[in-house]
Amino acid sequence: MAASKVHFMTAFLRYLWYVLRRSDHDAELRDEIESHRAHRQDALERKGLTPTAAAAASWRAMGNMTLAVEDVRDVWIARMLDNARQDIRDAFRGLRKNAGFSAVVIATLALGIGANTSLFSIFNSLIMRPLPVRDPEGLALLASGSWSYPVWREIKARETQLFEGAFAWSRESFDLAEGGKPVPVDGAFVSGRFFDVLGVPPFRGRMLAPADDSGAAPDGPVAVISHRFWRQHFGGTDDVVGRQLTMHPQRLSFTIVGVMPPGFSGVDVGRMADVLLPFAAEPMLQGRESVLEAVGAAWLEIMVRLKPGQTIEHANAALRSVQPQIRAGVMPGFRGDPAFGKRYLTHPLTLDPAAAGASRLRRQFETPLFAMVVAVGLVLLVACANIATLLLARALGRRGEFSVRLALGGSRRRIAQLLFVESLLLAISGAALGLAFAKWSSALLVQQLGSTVALDLSLDWRVLVFTATLTCLCAISAGLAPMIGVKSVAAGEALKGAGRSIAGDRRFAVRGTLVVAQLAVSFILVIAAGLFLRTFASLSQLPLGFAPEPLVVVQLNLRAAGIPLEERGAHVERLRDAAAAMPGVRSASASAVRLLAGGGWFSNNRVAVGDGPLLPEDQRRRVWRDAITPGWFETMGITILSGRDFDGRDRIGSLPVAVVNQAFARRYLPNQQPIGQTLRVDTETGPRYEIVGVVADAVYTTPRAGMLPTMYVPLAQREPQAWGSSAVLTLKAMSGQRALVERDVAAAVTKVDPKIVFTARTFDQIVDATATQERLVAMMSGFFGALAVLLAGLGLYGIVAHAVSARRTEIGLRMALGARPAGIARLVFGRVGVLIVAGLALGVAGSWWAARFVAPLLFQVEARDPITFFGTTAVLVAVGALAAWVPARRAARLDPATVLREG
Amino acid sequence: MGLTNTPSDLLPGTLELLILKSLMGGARHGYAIVEHLRLASNDILNIGESALYPALQRLLFNGWVKAEWGTSENNRRARFYTLTAAGRRQLAAERAEFDRMVGAIQRVLAST
Repeated sequence: MAASKVHFMTAFLRYLWYVLRRSDHDAELRDEIESHRAHRQDALERKGLTPTAAAAASWRAMGNMTLAVEDVRDVWIARMLDNARQDIRDAFRGLRKNAGFSAVVIATLALGIGANTSLFSIFNSLIMRPLPVRDPEGLALLASGSWSYPVWREIKARETQLFEGAFAWSRESFDLAEGGKPVPVDGAFVSGRFFDVLGVPPFRGRMLAPADDSGAAPDGPVAVISHRFWRQHFGGTDDVVGRQLTMHPQRLSFTIVGVMPPGFSGVDVGRMADVLLPFAAEPMLQGRESVLEAVGAAWLEIMVRLKPGQTIEHANAALRSVQPQIRAGVMPGFRGDPAFGKRYLTHPLTLDPAAAGASRLRRQFETPLFAMVVAVGLVLLVACANIATLLLARALGRRGEFSVRLALGGSRRRIAQLLFVESLLLAISGAALGLAFAKWSSALLVQQLGSTVALDLSLDWRVLVFTATLTCLCAISAGLAPMIGVKSVAAGEALKGAGRSIAGDRRFAVRGTLVVAQLAVSFILVIAAGLFLRTFASLSQLPLGFAPEPLVVVQLNLRAAGIPLEERGAHVERLRDAAAAMPGVRSASASAVRLLAGGGWFSNNRVAVGDGPLLPEDQRRRVWRDAITPGWFETMGITILSGRDFDGRDRIGSLPVAVVNQAFARRYLPNQQPIGQTLRVDTETGPRYEIVGVVADAVYTTPRAGMLPTMYVPLAQREPQAWGSSAVLTLKAMSGQRALVERDVAAAVTKVDPKIVFTARTFDQIVDATATQERLVAMMSGFFGALAVLLAGLGLYGIVAHAVSARRTEIGLRMALGARPAGIARLVFGRVGVLIVAGLALGVAGSWWAARFVAPLLFQVEARDPITFFGTTAVLVAVGALAAWVPARRAARLDPATVLREG
Repeated sequence: MGLTNTPSDLLPGTLELLILKSLMGGARHGYAIVEHLRLASNDILNIGESALYPALQRLLFNGWVKAEWGTSENNRRARFYTLTAAGRRQLAAERAEFDRMVGAIQRVLAST
């Protein structure tokens, strides 16, 4: 019985063998024909010819040997092609005849393969794909974080001595205002040799050169644009080189000198830089706010290209040998903290391989994305098991057809081959649809990562190879089961009216194994979904310390709006007044910092209380700071516990005042009355703030970080030069009016200043954004878990229903002999129970083992959380019981008389 | 029929049938098969190499015969072909089919 599979395999292997050693095969054939000729010569000699004459005659008789060899070769290739063509035609016909079945299988595969391809293409473009530059393997990123321009200048001075080259870039947003409206465009400042070191050739015109990044640029201010931007804003015209781009609000014109090649838009993965300017343009655009010379500003990233043959270790050693000079040249002011200065000098500079570019997104999403790739792969596995079960059932339904084929002389090999071609056809159709689905769903997913994320999701060879491999695996795993099932078909079986067997047979064992595997995998997926859901739940239940529901937040970009430093305070106050006057607004306040942005304005523990010394610098003990208008606490819903809020008396020239939160008081003023104490922050010589109030704790950076020591000062006491580029308006809506406020706020602020650049969001959206990753992971794993359970349930139902219908005779007999319906149901449940218990046991073991991989993604939940394990077990037992209950009830209701009459 | 070097002179599949039949008696190499067919047909069927070897390859491909190198009665190296179980079944099936075809042809020829 095992012959058919062996047969099929050997036929296939024979062909493979032939293809692999074709030249051997041809040589063997020549040997054989030579042997044939020799035998003829022997025969001729026996007839009396001389050996020479016999040899000559035998050669003559042989004819064209090359032609014979070629004919033989054709036999192999033509037969293989012919068989394949015939099988494909037959398979296609068979599938069309059973269109409903085929549609279900193809749709399942399309979803499965599509979801896998979609996640993989994101994974690929974010993590795996090398930059489209010359020899990306030679690139290395200066880790980790950002650097100041003076640091870059030090490295640039040594770039060719240490490496083949180096370049720096920053992430910027430029404003190409059109018709009085801001048009932000993503871009970057880059160093002069950016394109040269990367090895990116121009698509049109020329790329930036070192001369452009100097005070004496021959072509004046110049810009390079991306291929995408060229197509979108210039319609891809050829005369783009030489045209002007006007940057607002300064109305500075830049000459476009070139277009970057398609597919390249900077070295940041997840962000597309459309307009690239040399660093020399930074002071022109930022004016007095230029950070080019600031030693304390960390705003650009640095990459190097290694010399040929230089390893990353060599490069690191070379860099560290000149580190003291680099660091010493660019010491930020340490405000009298020698210990920190020493740490700064000796903290080693490190290069990391960066063939795939740099990405902040990557750090955030690498682990969850990988977890999701694994999860969706498991779902496909469960789906394949289901399809295998379906194909097996279908193949068994065609036992009649197959046994007739066998009786008429068809070989088992051809039948097995036909079945395999069928599953391959199904898998390929599924994959084709899946690719289309992936294109759509991966774009959708990337949108969920954040509105500013731009990933190149084009299908490259990695994605196609992945999908093709997946398709073949699907075809093999789904196609193998029916082939095993068909082994037991006997020739002429259909003619004898067989198929009324009483005992269960091994085909159920095959399907039983599949169902156990399905249950185990679904268990793991549901566990993961449960853990991620609980993580998300615990994150969203974290206390914020304020009430986000009625709040609308407007983030103003004052620099982009071109407002001079001196006027920023008054300007913000005008905008705040306008917002407060809007209908539906209870109160409106302004602040310097937007909360929940993950960072903000801070001091590294350098706080002095009263006349005490400044505490030593410590990054782990940060004090967070904000500058606010009077009424901000009330707007946010933060309780003032003692003392007072800021008011109109707190202005420039009056006594500097501060309000601190409880966490601040606990850390720096333990067991003291805070009100009336004085504080200095960061500098010995700076203002002495008098604490006038204590407020309840509120979250500053992220909900995960919890309640951090925070110090508030009045916005009205800010010196003009301390104003940053942005400010925040917070509007508290009257109950039920938030939607109205959200709608009207844009009109209200543009009425005051038509050129203002801002973004408006509800505070709820900001809170949601802090858990984007966790929400996405919880959503997706929940979806995958539900899908897997559904598929496993269907699989279980299928096998039980089939078993019951195949054993009708036996059940009828048992009932006729006195078995009670309850007993029959118990019989069915008994068999299902074994499968469920086996599946769950495997699932528990698998989840227990896999727990350590998901642990880093969890928050306030144990990876082996007993509640999740119990819950999952309950869910799967319930699904299993439901899947068994329907067929079991049908079995218990069988009428023995009918069954026995039929049988 | 003389020198039948092209298989098209025979009914399609007939050459394979004859080769399978000639292997019923045991393993034979290519030349021995030709000789057997010639003798058994009273010198009417004289199969050339360019017809024989492609036919043998077709049989190999379908798994109806297998081939092994050995030494012939003339003490020469030769490739011996043996019937497989599948080949035996195929022979029976093709033989029945052939009988049916020949019967049909004869009936056509006998009709007026």
